[in-house]
Amino acid sequence: MSLQVKGLNKEYEGMLLYSNFDIDFTEGTITCILGPSGCGKTTLLNIIGGTVKPDSGTLVGFDKKVISYIFQEPRLLPWRTVEQNIEFVLGKNIASAEKKKIVRQFIQLVELDGFEKYYPSKLSGGMRQRVSIARSFAYPSDIILMDEALKGLDVKLKQNLIRTFSRIWQADRRTVIFVTHDVDEALMLGNEVIVFSEAPVQVVMRQKVEVPLTNRTIETDYFKALKQDLIKALGS
Amino acid sequence: MKISITKRQGYTIAGVLFMLIVWKLLAIHFNSDFIIPHPEKTFVTTIDLFTDSNFVAIIGSTILRGIVGFVLSCILGLGLGIIAGVSANFNAFLRPILVTIRSVPVIALILLALIWLNPNSVPIFIALLTMFPFICTNVIDGINSVDKELVQMATFYRVSRSRIVREVYIPAIMPFIISGASSAMGIGWRAIIIGEVLSQPQYGIGTVMQAAQTYLKVDVVIAWTIVAVVISYVFEKVIRWSEHKIVVWI
Repeated sequence: MSLQVKGLNKEYEGMLLYSNFDIDFTEGTITCILGPSGCGKTTLLNIIGGTVKPDSGTLVGFDKKVISYIFQEPRLLPWRTVEQNIEFVLGKNIASAEKKKIVRQFIQLVELDGFEKYYPSKLSGGMRQRVSIARSFAYPSDIILMDEALKGLDVKLKQNLIRTFSRIWQADRRTVIFVTHDVDEALMLGNEVIVFSEAPVQVVMRQKVEVPLTNRTIETDYFKALKQDLIKALGS
Repeated sequence: MKISITKRQGYTIAGVLFMLIVWKLLAIHFNSDFIIPHPEKTFVTTIDLFTDSNFVAIIGSTILRGIVGFVLSCILGLGLGIIAGVSANFNAFLRPILVTIRSVPVIALILLALIWLNPNSVPIFIALLTMFPFICTNVIDGINSVDKELVQMATFYRVSRSRIVREVYIPAIMPFIISGASSAMGIGWRAIIIGEVLSQPQYGIGTVMQAAQTYLKVDVVIAWTIVAVVISYVFEKVIRWSEHKIVVWI
């Protein structure tokens, strides 16, 4: 099954971002969107998430999907503990005992056992982002939208978070659309990488990455060659 | 029991001692209880106030006026502050009113209140007019300072509006409300006592201070001032204590 955006037109602050633009995403995979800053990647996520209206165009297959988010900043409530922050997004129709079970499960998955009662101010930047990842997976979503979620983190922290993310993702293989401008992040996390041009956006390159997520080391020749191609496409 | 004092506490104690020494020197210099009584005599007078059969009625009346004025200020300040925080138009409408109330001298308000109201209501009315603008302004600032990205996150996750208000807005503005309440209380006690001095309700610290001043009982005026300072200090401590209990996440 694929999720499609068809005939998208969107102008933002006088700039034409999308003109009759089509794109599709394969369900159950991680699609990474690479593109220059300001080309409209975040706007596309917001249109998919329903928070920004397109000027025209249709979304196919998204209508009944529940969406969760991982933002560039963790966006945690400072006055709520780690477990309360995750519980915050779980709706009323989940029983209290079930909520507690879900929260515990995802805190364990992001390896934050023992920090349940901590306030965000007592956590490091990487730990906060892990709470944000736990929150997005704990939320009963079909699709996870990630907007530059690893930007500004150091390389080691980034690798840790990517490992954490991949491990949780393997469990239920949700559809993930991950917007980034970092080629390495896209290579480490994507089942497919799509390269956007400057606005008005066109797809410059679309590349499946055949190596399983868990075994990836981007120092291999395969990834080095792929990286070269992606950088070339980005520069074109 | 061993009592340890930090260096900073030492300086605070030195500050208090300095005031007492200056007071004592002035008392020696003027050598008249009608101008400046000696600190030790005033201390005895302060203790004597507790034995006054009306002591509880006097401080109880003043404290009650303070609490009533404070509660009314909170209701009005929160109500109008929330509306102004949400609506920019109402905020623009309210700003000049708040600025005017804050700029009018307290004494002018009291003189007008004396014409309009009965003596018991004047101090409360004055407390309300001096305290509510602080609370209202802080609520507006608090609402404006709410992190829009947190609200957006909650909206994206389809959290209900009522929970966004309860769990995002209210905790975010709480430190502002407490800070506003603290400033309001500080200025409110002074306004209430001035109101009592001029309106002369049956019981009140201001009432007895005015009576003592008429008979040149300077030690009694200062003794009641000390009681008023202690009341103000206790309420300030209660607000700070509640801040520590409520704002636990920093």
